Amino acid sequence: MDNLTFIREAFSKFYNENIDRIEVPKSIGSREFGFTMFREGVMVRHKGFINPEDLKEFIKKNVPSNVYYSAAYYSVPEAKMDEKGWLGSDLFFDIDADHIPTKCDKKHDTWTCRGCGFKGRGEAPEKCPSCSGESFDEKTWLCEVCLETARNETIKLVDMLMDDLGFSPKEIKCSFSGHRGYHVQVESEYILNLDSNARKEIVDYVTGTGIDAVFHGLEEIGDGKTVFLAGPSLNDAGWRGRAARGVYEFLLTATDIDLKKLGLKKKVVERILANRDEILASWKVNGPWNMIEGLGLEGWRKIINYGVTFQSAKIDTVVTSDVHRLIRLPGTLHGKTGLLKISFPISRIEDFDPLREALAFKSGEVEVYVDEAPAFRLGDDVFGPFEKQKAVLPLSAVILLLCKNAARVIDQHV
Amino acid sequence: MNSAENMEGERILTLSDLVKYPFMPEAADEVRRLDFRIEHLLNPDYEPVLERAEKRIIEALTTNPPEVSYNPHEYSEYVEILSFPAAIVLAAALANDYVKRRYALAEARRAYGFLRTEKEDKIINIAGRFGWRIRALNMQISFTKFDFALNFIDYLKNATLFHEKEWKMVNRLVHGGEVYLSKQDVARLLQEEVRRYIESKINLSVSSKIPEGVLERVEDLKRICSEKIKEAPPEQISSSVIDDAFPPCMRELYSAIKAGRHVSHAGRFALTSFLLNVGMEPEAIIDLFRKSPDFNERIARYQIEHIAGEKGSRTRYTPPKCDTLRTHGLCLGADNLCGRVRHPLTYYLRRAKSFRVGEEERIDEIKEG
Repeated sequence: MDNLTFIREAFSKFYNENIDRIEVPKSIGSREFGFTMFREGVMVRHKGFINPEDLKEFIKKNVPSNVYYSAAYYSVPEAKMDEKGWLGSDLFFDIDADHIPTKCDKKHDTWTCRGCGFKGRGEAPEKCPSCSGESFDEKTWLCEVCLETARNETIKLVDMLMDDLGFSPKEIKCSFSGHRGYHVQVESEYILNLDSNARKEIVDYVTGTGIDAVFHGLEEIGDGKTVFLAGPSLNDAGWRGRAARGVYEFLLTATDIDLKKLGLKKKVVERILANRDEILASWKVNGPWNMIEGLGLEGWRKIINYGVTFQSAKIDTVVTSDVHRLIRLPGTLHGKTGLLKISFPISRIEDFDPLREALAFKSGEVEVYVDEAPAFRLGDDVFGPFEKQKAVLPLSAVILLLCKNAARVIDQHV
Repeated sequence: MNSAENMEGERILTLSDLVKYPFMPEAADEVRRLDFRIEHLLNPDYEPVLERAEKRIIEALTTNPPEVSYNPHEYSEYVEILSFPAAIVLAAALANDYVKRRYALAEARRAYGFLRTEKEDKIINIAGRFGWRIRALNMQISFTKFDFALNFIDYLKNATLFHEKEWKMVNRLVHGGEVYLSKQDVARLLQEEVRRYIESKINLSVSSKIPEGVLERVEDLKRICSEKIKEAPPEQISSSVIDDAFPPCMRELYSAIKAGRHVSHAGRFALTSFLLNVGMEPEAIIDLFRKSPDFNERIARYQIEHIAGEKGSRTRYTPPKCDTLRTHGLCLGADNLCGRVRHPLTYYLRRAKSFRVGEEERIDEIKEG
């Protein structure tokens, strides 16, 4: 049995037994649905369902590799794009380790040069070191470090949505994407009609794009004779406080190189490093703005504008500003992993364990030949690393390896 | 929220306020109370109203920046209040987009002049007319004073039209779903709301209801303003593409695609719409994408023709403006010329102009958005 058939059978069995795990979206009749199919490899779009049962039947019957629905509401979801009649759209955020630098440096990902076949680890380089080719085949893996990084970004995002933009926990829906990240969706009648420009402003807000410290309390105060600097405080609201906390975080560990990169003078950098403890202590009083000789408004402005990157949420910017976006349906399987996209209340964001709670296949063992895979954890068990070897593994691990095209089935029984 | 009366039933806006803010529903109530109708404009008693209405439009077209005047001693309160809906009718009858925009702006700027020094309760009342969720704040944080807190969605509806850095929401204090603002800022945002509101009023097709005699006056008005109301000619872009005039962002995307490097969806859209707008043929663009790792001729052709407006919605797309490119991480940072433009096409047109010495090219600022 080939991999695709095996995966499809497992998906089919899962949907037959667990179809009610699907979270039917609000106003199902106004949503567009899209599916990718195992064999055809193409997207079937512009589908509409009046009631949840029809959707469930469709999934059971066709066993798609991925199931999507529109964050948007339409008068006629089945119509062509420009004839659908857009009624509004939920506010949607996608946080994916693909877009975020991670401490694992994606060492588990591999790339192969299309020109000469040269292979390497991590993110693909600009140019192939062997033939200078610039086009690569890439294989990605999901690891705990990637997921943890994505979780931290999600926490920052949710904080901003609640503290700054004032959404209630009831209006915010969090989910694990089923692969390397998290989805955050705001369902509120107030945001439905926001156009793409307004959503882009929200994107810039949460990512800190275009921020300037001079609008967040950094200013020169004085009567001409004596001038002193004022700046934001740690407990200030909004980006004002975030800017201060970002500077705090940055200066806690900043190295000589980090500071010079900002274009600060050598003497100033030395003074900052020599006074690190005093700077950190100064936040309890008036902040560090007047402590470092030679560091004025322009210098602090650079430091703050950089400190902001510690506090910003690294979301996929395109997804949020697109008011026609299709997103994965919660309760369905991800075709690249066999893991569930699964929702959880925001109160659980700190302790939610995607590699336990998103497991879909809980019984059965299968023998596979694994080409290559790094060590990975599912639930309490750690598997691998594998390199060109046979292994008998639980079904969830097998499906993950097969979906990642890292193994093939030997024993055929599910 | 549409009422001009507060909880005690006391009127917040006086008659002289309605002279300042004639777009308020209470002004319309006043017009109804006086039983004023368009056909009355021909009645000699109403000549001052018609005259003032014409003057409102002429002022909009002849002042720069446009602003309708305020002369409480020259006209009675009733002439002022009645002349506003009359001017809306005249502006609609002129059936010219430039007049519509210019007049709406001139009235909105006039309102701004009053609003910036207006009392808080009146501002809240006027903002309420437009459904704003706003409250007085009177808060000092460090050295900055904030007068109002405005729901962030109401803020975004108006502020996204401004391009200055200070209007980006990320450069504002936002807390609990509200943007903290000074009175001056609220007045500026209200100007925008008023401008759009008046523009939408002029959109109504009223011409059919206008009596013959008034239409003659409209013809006279057209002659008076004829110099001013010519439509700006559409931008022409040469068909010969000058690579050297590309802005840094497009140069980078162009060379990435040429080298077969991976370019994000947003990047491809930006580049394709840019190339189409500077006059590159769809066929040439398809060839360019041929080197992409995931090239599929059928899909590429469909997408490029879609962006060109030959397929699907039939709208020809313009490339995203600089702001949007920055949001999607496609801006490489500004060179000297970038600092002076907000749109990659404007950059191209300016630079291309310097390559075409001797040729007489009319180069217009590309419309934002």
